Amino acid sequence: MIKLTGIDKYFFAGTPNEVKALDNVNLRVAQGDFITLIGSNGAGKSTLLKAIAGVISVDAGSIEIDGRNVTNLPEHTRARDIGRIDQDPLASTAAELSIEENLAMAYLRGQKRGLARAVTGQRAEIFREALKNIGLGLESRLKVPVGTLSGGQRQALALVMATLSRPKLLLLDEHTAALDPKAARLVMEITERLVNRYQLTTLMITHNMEQAIRFGNRLIMMHRGRIILDIGAEEKNKLTVPDLVTRFTSSSGSVFDDDRVLLA
Amino acid sequence: MESVIINALQQGLIFAFMALGVLLTFRLLGFPDLTVEGTFPLGAAVTARVIVEGVNPLLAVLLGAVAGGMAGAATGLMHTRLKVNNILAGILTASAIYTVMLRTMGRPNTPLLAHENVYGQVLGWFNLTETNSTVIIALLVLTVIVRLLLGWFLNTDIGLALRATGSNEQMIRSLGVNTDNTKLMGLIIANFLVGLSGALACQLQGFADVGMGIGVLVAAIASVIVGETIFGGNRLGRLLTGVILGSIVYRGLLAIGLRMGLPAEDFKLMTAVLVLLVLCLPNFSLNKRLAGVVPGVQTKNKKPRQTRSLQADYSPSPAKELTVHVQNDGRVGE
Repeated sequence: MIKLTGIDKYFFAGTPNEVKALDNVNLRVAQGDFITLIGSNGAGKSTLLKAIAGVISVDAGSIEIDGRNVTNLPEHTRARDIGRIDQDPLASTAAELSIEENLAMAYLRGQKRGLARAVTGQRAEIFREALKNIGLGLESRLKVPVGTLSGGQRQALALVMATLSRPKLLLLDEHTAALDPKAARLVMEITERLVNRYQLTTLMITHNMEQAIRFGNRLIMMHRGRIILDIGAEEKNKLTVPDLVTRFTSSSGSVFDDDRVLLA
Repeated sequence: MESVIINALQQGLIFAFMALGVLLTFRLLGFPDLTVEGTFPLGAAVTARVIVEGVNPLLAVLLGAVAGGMAGAATGLMHTRLKVNNILAGILTASAIYTVMLRTMGRPNTPLLAHENVYGQVLGWFNLTETNSTVIIALLVLTVIVRLLLGWFLNTDIGLALRATGSNEQMIRSLGVNTDNTKLMGLIIANFLVGLSGALACQLQGFADVGMGIGVLVAAIASVIVGETIFGGNRLGRLLTGVILGSIVYRGLLAIGLRMGLPAEDFKLMTAVLVLLVLCLPNFSLNKRLAGVVPGVQTKNKKPRQTRSLQADYSPSPAKELTVHVQNDGRVGE
């Protein structure tokens, strides 16, 4: 379904500050996989997601989605297949536009946009149905500007927007990291529900080892631009946080010292 | 007094097209487009030239507007294809337009009083003679048509993509919209309106002049601010109508000022100061300052509009439990 072959990405190439953010990353994602992606700061997790989405270009290697080579395609032409949510609650929705207008834009993800009315009664009905799924009562507030919603509500709306047109791939870049614990739990619940319901192939970055173990059917750990651990469903079910720390130490040859991950 | 009203309505309606264009780029698209300072006289210059050549006035006005749209396209292409900074792209086009105008007209000023104008032509179709009030009616009809068209367009799928480009460019790109194209489209439409404004202005005043664009941008911004503050709300429809009314109010204020004997040469400075005042007013609370200095003055805690509508829209739902810690600059802690 997704095939990454030999992906390299440099930042500040040719300067003394050169960083190899992605180092020969190879990854195959099967249809319906829900992968959690974990690693310390600077491991290359976000860079990997951005490379798949086309937000940044890669320096070597190829990216295939469903057999189509998208390596050199700009972000907006890949959009049809990919729903993406950033950790910043302000990034995945448009504050000045209303809930229904945001959904109307997501409804036509990757499709040609014409001069048809964006919010029609028929579409509003679809939006209301989709919002009912997340149970926040947003379906009765379609005309409210998104800027007046809380961060958790905005991320939940972003989830609805990302899944509305059933993308082939859902990319979640620590989408609960900026929320308070309660909101984060709720958004995570909604995420799981939507991913299961629509059988979405999902790549989710998390800083939380426990979360990484609990969700999904596959766990990938990155370190210094490389994938150092790839744990399948069976093994993952038995995995504990101390196990993961030990496995990290033996695979990377360094001590896991990211407080944010360990304390989470 | 009558002259003040006539002046406010005629000038206000003509400049309303420009204010709508400026609203589209500056406010909705988030693109500070300085092309308009050149587009306005360009619309006039092209119209004047083709009228002198004997072209039908209505067609001439349309050509003036199209020339404006082309200027917008030039800025847009410079910015999107050649990656020139948006403000610099506008300045480059505006500067180049100066030569284009001189070449088009062959001189800095073209008198048109000897030629039939578009108002007389159109009013003639309805057996009306050209008077101050019939001109106002004709302009009013055109304004209403443009207002409705813009309102319709900005609520279509493309129009929404255009507004989203100004609101959250990264997001709409991730939804599959080429934001280069939406920017280009917005600039063309906005400058078409500004060109139309210039064309209609030269028809009313009976001449076109290369200098007639100086200061029009600040005046248009003043109209947008007045409209937004007095009439506008969050809703798009009110914003569009508000900006038209704002333009009329602004021109009315100028007309009153003129009548009171204020020297016309001071207007641009006064407008600039007015815009500055309105823009920085929210940062400046007299009460707050007095509270620290004058004993007995209580600070009135005025809540910003955002907070107010937030409270009004807050419904007692499970969502109430959600909060988020977002830093003021919109970025979120790692």
